[in-house]
Amino acid sequence: MEVSRRTFIKTTLIGGAGVSVFGFNLAPVYAQTQGLKIARTTETRSTCPYCSVSCGVIIHTLGDKSKNAIPQVVHVEGDPDHPINRGTLCPKGASLEQDIVNDRRLVKPQVRRPGATEWEDISWDTAINEIARWTKKTRDAAFIDKDKNGYTVNRLETIGWIGGCTDTNELNFLAVKTMRSMGVCYFETQARV
Amino acid sequence: MTEWWDKQIRRADDLEAHANGSRELLRFYGHLLRAQKDIYEFLCTRKGWLPTGELEADFPILTEALPGFLGAVESHGPAPLAAEAHELCEANDEAVAERLMSYWLNASDIQFFEKAFLQPYLRWVAESGARPVRREVAGGERYCPFCGGNPQVSFLQNKETTAESGNRDLICAVCLSSWEFRRVVCANCGEERPTKLGYFHSPVFDHVRIEACDTCKHYLKSVDLTRVGFAAPLVDEIDAAPLDLWAREHGYTKIELNLVGV
Repeated sequence: MEVSRRTFIKTTLIGGAGVSVFGFNLAPVYAQTQGLKIARTTETRSTCPYCSVSCGVIIHTLGDKSKNAIPQVVHVEGDPDHPINRGTLCPKGASLEQDIVNDRRLVKPQVRRPGATEWEDISWDTAINEIARWTKKTRDAAFIDKDKNGYTVNRLETIGWIGGCTDTNELNFLAVKTMRSMGVCYFETQARV
Repeated sequence: MTEWWDKQIRRADDLEAHANGSRELLRFYGHLLRAQKDIYEFLCTRKGWLPTGELEADFPILTEALPGFLGAVESHGPAPLAAEAHELCEANDEAVAERLMSYWLNASDIQFFEKAFLQPYLRWVAESGARPVRREVAGGERYCPFCGGNPQVSFLQNKETTAESGNRDLICAVCLSSWEFRRVVCANCGEERPTKLGYFHSPVFDHVRIEACDTCKHYLKSVDLTRVGFAAPLVDEIDAAPLDLWAREHGYTKIELNLVGV
């Protein structure tokens, strides 16, 4: 009788994992299996955000995909299959995990008042209101609609914007739209990749 | 030339001494490796002969190594394998050749004797520069580029001296040679979506993990040599047999069963 691989494995292994396909007693193996704590991770290929070299990275995320579980980044390594870096990373790239998971990361806005030596925690509402007030005040005071030759320029030279390398595309998109609409000239998103 | 086999045997002995659930499997695999090493040594020390890669032509030489191999399986294997080994000892050459040719043309992981007996032969074929004749090479990166076999196990190792991570290679279940394979890809169906690929790990087997695919529901195990450099993937894979049972309980099928049938 012709026995398929599937049937063969099914008949020898299912039902308490008694014996292996070739007749080995799997009871002790099965007993050890019961004590194992298994964690599921996902590997996602991505690009290091820090500079224009654009090294490939693999991000390891812990989480079993269950509904209420929040996936957590547990490791970031160079992508050995990436043609640019072939698994290597600079010290900044190698510490990328700490950019994502870091208990020293600021999670609320802070302000240092004129003359103060310490940073002060403020609420998001306060921060937004203060930024809006200062932006309007600065723009109203220094907006240039025409240059000395009478050409319309609509520019603002007293506000600048410096982006960060880990800013997302979406944030950079909004920053460009906002700054351009206000006439800001001194403007850098640091979008390299 | 036999250093590779010695390394596997040493590793099997070391792991067996500390093994928990898989001790019996490792003990048998250690004996099997010794028998395979004997075949390999017999073939590569034979004066004035090199393998042609054509099984039918090389069969008369190969059969000389068969009795020792079958004797080892009969002495150390579980009852079903010992009984089959005994039957094969008494079978005529034509019957044995027919079984080997059947495996040669269409390899299957449930054909223990054919797979175990031909592994050292094909390894020697690869090392001697010959090519296997009349073996269908399916093509595609998921099959061994030398003989077309399935992957038995994958392993990670640093190939760039400054690399932060390991390159992935697959070891062929048929000829034991290895080939490069991309990291985040299913070795069975080629799935690349990260959400469909799961990596399962237990601290008990810190350098071994299951690489499973939720699209085709297949898996293979991976041994991380960047963590344990002296590990032998084929042996460590057997030591981590509890992971296989866990994977099977969770609905995954192994791409290729190993020589202890898990």
